[in-house]
Amino acid sequence: MFKSYRPHSISDLLDIIDKETCHIFAGGTDIMIRKRQWQGAERKFTQNVVYINHLTELKGIEETEDAYIIGTLTTQTDIVKSNLPEYIRRPYELMSSPAIRNVATVGGNIVNAASVADSLPILYALDASLELASKYGKRIIKVDEFVLGKYKTNRQTNELLTRVIVPKYESEGYFYKKLGQRKASILSKISVFILHQPNNIRITIGAVNDLVIRSTELERQFVLDKDIASLLSGYKSLMNGKDDKRSTKDYRETTALNLIEDYLKEIKDEL
Amino acid sequence: MKIKFELNHEFVEVETTLSKRLLDVIREDFDLIGTKEGCAEGECGACLVYVDDLLVNSCLVPIANVVDKHVVTIEAFSKTDGYQKIEDAFVKAGAVQCGYCTPGMVMAVHELLKQYPNPTVEEVKEGLSGNLCRCTGYQSIFEAVNLLIEGGYLDV
Repeated sequence: MFKSYRPHSISDLLDIIDKETCHIFAGGTDIMIRKRQWQGAERKFTQNVVYINHLTELKGIEETEDAYIIGTLTTQTDIVKSNLPEYIRRPYELMSSPAIRNVATVGGNIVNAASVADSLPILYALDASLELASKYGKRIIKVDEFVLGKYKTNRQTNELLTRVIVPKYESEGYFYKKLGQRKASILSKISVFILHQPNNIRITIGAVNDLVIRSTELERQFVLDKDIASLLSGYKSLMNGKDDKRSTKDYRETTALNLIEDYLKEIKDEL
Repeated sequence: MKIKFELNHEFVEVETTLSKRLLDVIREDFDLIGTKEGCAEGECGACLVYVDDLLVNSCLVPIANVVDKHVVTIEAFSKTDGYQKIEDAFVKAGAVQCGYCTPGMVMAVHELLKQYPNPTVEEVKEGLSGNLCRCTGYQSIFEAVNLLIEGGYLDV
């Protein structure tokens, strides 16, 4: 048996998770499936559950001079309808279906840390940071230090992801492509995200490895030498995925590199 | 525990647990069986309902996330003028075969035309991307949507 909580404030919530290990339940569009059970029954939760979706202070987007600060409970629909730059909105627009996006949250996609989480490549490319709160205070951590592996993060059981801090980037152009078995409502086989401005490029690859692939070293080298072939072989050497039910290692690696190659040929002279 | 929310324009109270699905509460506690369970994983859209004017998959929503909110199911939606137009268009286009996806599909069509009164083919496909129909092959449903666009769905 598990207990279910619905605290009235963030501080009550932090007290609860300080005492007990809980599933922190926001939109729930992933955990409801993973804990599925027969009709009419409660979901098969293996830990106590704490519901936070009604804590509206955790929702909304703020803009400062150099960053966008996104509350963890902001939904994917909120992002799509926001004034955020198109290169942030677009990947969210292509996630899942309209009804799921109405419920699924920005924070959920991060903390869930699936290897196919489509928001992670964008957050990695933008050097996003996360604010985590516990009863004892707050800390800020870079997203690439937070995600440790497939479904594994650096979040301690008494911590709540509260805000996502996305530094602004003066983009001259971006490329985003995700491939899946169908166009909408599908988990990615791979995704490629590229952002650039003069003398700077950011390239991330999602769903190939357990973790998002990004190499600032390869990015810097490419801006200097514009050598596409050596960039691609650099990324190839970072790929260590496996065949699974969604795709094969070969397909993923080849298509990811082809997509990067095509786009870089197009923009090489603008860098 | 007692959970309070608004269901089809009436305030209701139900004795249940926070972790029960909205879908099960609607069907079992209130006997509103227009909302269907299809895939139980948010892919098929047979369980779509409105919660505070947002279309959601009720198979993925625990009742904890519905407290004090307003749920509208196909039973209440079917009393609206918009519904009547959608029904007429579905009948005319032959967009219903076994009917299992229809309650969800009807709500998704309404939402689509609310968001995009004059949608492109791509927008129609994206708007209905969360609804699976195994009978029609979708063409007759797209035709029904076209009839609604031509008929000016939102001009009441």
